[in-house]
Amino acid sequence: MNDILRISVPLTVWIAAFSAVYGLQGIVCSDHWGAAGLGLSAARAALVAAWLVAIAIQLGLLLVLQTPRYASPSRWVRWVSVALGIVALISTVWTLLPVVMTSVCI
Amino acid sequence: MNALRRHRELERIWGPRPGWRGMLTTVNNNDIGLMFLIVAATFFSIAGVLAMLIRAQLATPESVFVGPEVFNQLFTMHGTIMMFLFAIPLFEGLTIYLLPKMLGTRDLAFPRLSAFGFWCYLFGGSLLIFSMVAGIAPNSGWFMYPPLSSTLGTPGINSDFWLLGITFVEISAISAAVEIVVTILLYRAAGMSLDKMPIFAWYMLIVAVMILTAFPPMILGSILLELERAFGMPFFQVEHGGDSLLWLHLFWLFGHPEVYIIFLPAAGVVSTVLPVMARTTLLGYGWLVAAVAALGVLSFGLWVHHMFTTGIPHMGLAFFSAASTLVAVPTGLQIFAWIGTIWKGRPEMHLPMRWILGFFATFVIGGLTGVMIAMVPFNFQSHDTYFIVAHFHYVLVGGFVFPMIAGIYYWLPHFTGRKRFFRIGETAFWLVFIGFHGTFLLLHWAGLLGMRRRIDHVDAGSGWEGINLISSVGGFVMAMGFALIIIDIGVNVAVASRGPRNPWKAGTLEWAMPAPSGAYNMASIPTVRSRDPLHDDPDLPLRIARGEGYLGTPPASGLRETMMVEMSSGRPSHKIIFPGNSAMPITMAVVTGGLFMGMLLKWYWLVPLSALGVIGMAVWWAWGLGSRRDEGLQDVGNGLALPPGTQSVNPPGWWGSLFTLLADGVMFGSLLFGYAFLFTLAPNWPPPEWLRPEQRDLMLWLGGAVLAFGGIRLADGALRREGTPWPGLLIGLAGLAGLGAAALSVLRGTTHDGHAYEATLWVLGGYVLFHVAVALIMMAFLCVRESFGYLSALRIGEARVVRLWSDYAVAVALLGLGAAWLPGLAP
Repeated sequence: MNDILRISVPLTVWIAAFSAVYGLQGIVCSDHWGAAGLGLSAARAALVAAWLVAIAIQLGLLLVLQTPRYASPSRWVRWVSVALGIVALISTVWTLLPVVMTSVCI
Repeated sequence: MNALRRHRELERIWGPRPGWRGMLTTVNNNDIGLMFLIVAATFFSIAGVLAMLIRAQLATPESVFVGPEVFNQLFTMHGTIMMFLFAIPLFEGLTIYLLPKMLGTRDLAFPRLSAFGFWCYLFGGSLLIFSMVAGIAPNSGWFMYPPLSSTLGTPGINSDFWLLGITFVEISAISAAVEIVVTILLYRAAGMSLDKMPIFAWYMLIVAVMILTAFPPMILGSILLELERAFGMPFFQVEHGGDSLLWLHLFWLFGHPEVYIIFLPAAGVVSTVLPVMARTTLLGYGWLVAAVAALGVLSFGLWVHHMFTTGIPHMGLAFFSAASTLVAVPTGLQIFAWIGTIWKGRPEMHLPMRWILGFFATFVIGGLTGVMIAMVPFNFQSHDTYFIVAHFHYVLVGGFVFPMIAGIYYWLPHFTGRKRFFRIGETAFWLVFIGFHGTFLLLHWAGLLGMRRRIDHVDAGSGWEGINLISSVGGFVMAMGFALIIIDIGVNVAVASRGPRNPWKAGTLEWAMPAPSGAYNMASIPTVRSRDPLHDDPDLPLRIARGEGYLGTPPASGLRETMMVEMSSGRPSHKIIFPGNSAMPITMAVVTGGLFMGMLLKWYWLVPLSALGVIGMAVWWAWGLGSRRDEGLQDVGNGLALPPGTQSVNPPGWWGSLFTLLADGVMFGSLLFGYAFLFTLAPNWPPPEWLRPEQRDLMLWLGGAVLAFGGIRLADGALRREGTPWPGLLIGLAGLAGLGAAALSVLRGTTHDGHAYEATLWVLGGYVLFHVAVALIMMAFLCVRESFGYLSALRIGEARVVRLWSDYAVAVALLGLGAAWLPGLAP
């Protein structure tokens, strides 16, 4: 099961982060955000922070998957897990890039 | 024992009962797989006739061939049957038939579950067909958007057939997915480590996990919509705090991965068949596994691209547009790996290869138009037009039907043991290929010219008349092609001459047996050292037949023996006994059907009765498993002795439960998402009043969670130390009872049909109550099993299964009831 986890965790973390940031965008654009006294700049800051945290987690996973303690004993599994770690990192950067590129709530 | 006697003995043990009863009671993967394939082909034919009726109506302007109401039913049922009753069951059937053979084992992990899934599929699908014959078929489109599909738009029974029939059918998809995952992870030939698995197994492993995570949101959506229709719980009614956009989210959370769930098995067929046709090995096995895994997950980040025109802010659109473009990368990688495979081989133009080339041409066009509609501005223009209809037919027919036909022709000699003699298939290919492009290529232009999908007639002077006439002619040519394929297969199955074993000279294990295969698949379980064992060792089929692998001596006991392996390395770990033929699966499916019939006909008294029946059947089902005594190591041949599966710490049932709970957890997550969505974005919130728990409810909640969590651990620990599990079990039972009482307090404190908030709390409370009840029943069952001597320090598997379900009940109770009470507790 450990090898299956090594292969599946990075992209699972990506989909969790992707959904969470999309959910966060829903929250910052809702009436509740304004009612809490927070504005659009705080909204942008929260989204960017979430994006950076997601990238940091992916970088961490990528490093961990190559350490002797967590890397798979199987060379093939090690290769696939690292390749998918890189895919997950690129996906996190690319799919959440709009947090710095587009308007927040329009 | 010689090979023939071994074959007869194994056939007696693994085969179905003689006569018609055999079909109703068989649990063998060969029978169930073939039954799936035949029923799926039947549904395909029905949906094909519906497509012809649609094209007949649109062939000429101002046509009155059918009226609008009938037309609505035609296109709804065409899409519904193709997606739910044809595509998924077809690849499930092929997988159920092939997977044990490819993996070098004797059957799927839970044979009775396969049979149960098949009967649910047949009964649920028949329900939908019945509605069509009766003229009351679903008529709101295959994605059933409310309020059109709710009682506001469809007061009749039409939508109920869809919601209940499809949910019934989805039981089969979920059970097949659990089956496939556990089989691939635990039942393989000795030495078949993860990197030596046939590529098709990797595809199906990922697809099965996708089914477990994609279907639950739609099942939840169907339950919510049915609850709204039956009991007035307003989840999708804006004036009562609901929001129809919630349905879109839940549906497309399923609907987009669904496209890949359909495409990937077909891609798995291509990756298996293409290297054989090109007389080489697959280029980039590891790259393909990584690409498929990436596709499997990335496809879950695309669902909102079906909702680009619903008024979502630009940033949300950009997230999903970016993800939609990204998904083209692993898809492209697969295409290049296949082209590279052809490049390095010596391709031979057999019929399967023709279909694969047809797939390339068609699917690439569909993929490229997919990238076009991933772009938000273009999507705004083409949304709900025939451009979309043309696009998804290129993807689904090109990406699924063509490769699956390639697969069916490739494995036809395996199914029949015959050599294809009549060459009708070649003509059929050209008819389908030309007919398909004739039907759909020009429809892109019709869409760009503004032709909206689902219109029931073409206006004269609209400029779309010529395109539609050509499209209809193409459609009928294609239909003739498909009819010829069915005739070709039928004729070759019936009268072609006997063919050689492994006519393609393939390297995978499904060709290491006589064709058609025996019910037992593998006369003995081989050891493999590469991905193409038959290329390494051409004599392997002979040695398997001679019983030189594991479990080569059929047992005098008549039990169905097989072997479990360690997940990563493929090292043999346990000897497993599978259950024999039984009427239990079909009976269970009939009783389960009572739940759906009760809701459909509004005979609500039938629902609790059927639920009791299902519980009784489940207890009966589980009672026959396990052992009442500890056993030593058992000889499996070749000098190897293994412990029995009943003494595994995490037996197959534990893994099956784990993956069932994965699906269940996604459904719960979707419910929490729905609650958060309505809370955050739906109009007409907040509700008139928040629910506030009493102190007693909070104590029952937290105290119950602690006791249930601790109790089962105490019982588990005591069993391992050869102590008595009773104190732990009783504490666990008390804890679960406390959680049940806490969940009941949520139901007592709200009215289900007032505001969407209260309706959501009803569902949350009901969900928790249901899972607590399941855990209670399981724990009570464990108490009885302990009394009858089924548990010991070595036989703790059942306690581990119950622990899993009990822990899940605790987790959902903590999260679910916490979420229900949180707004009321906030200052």
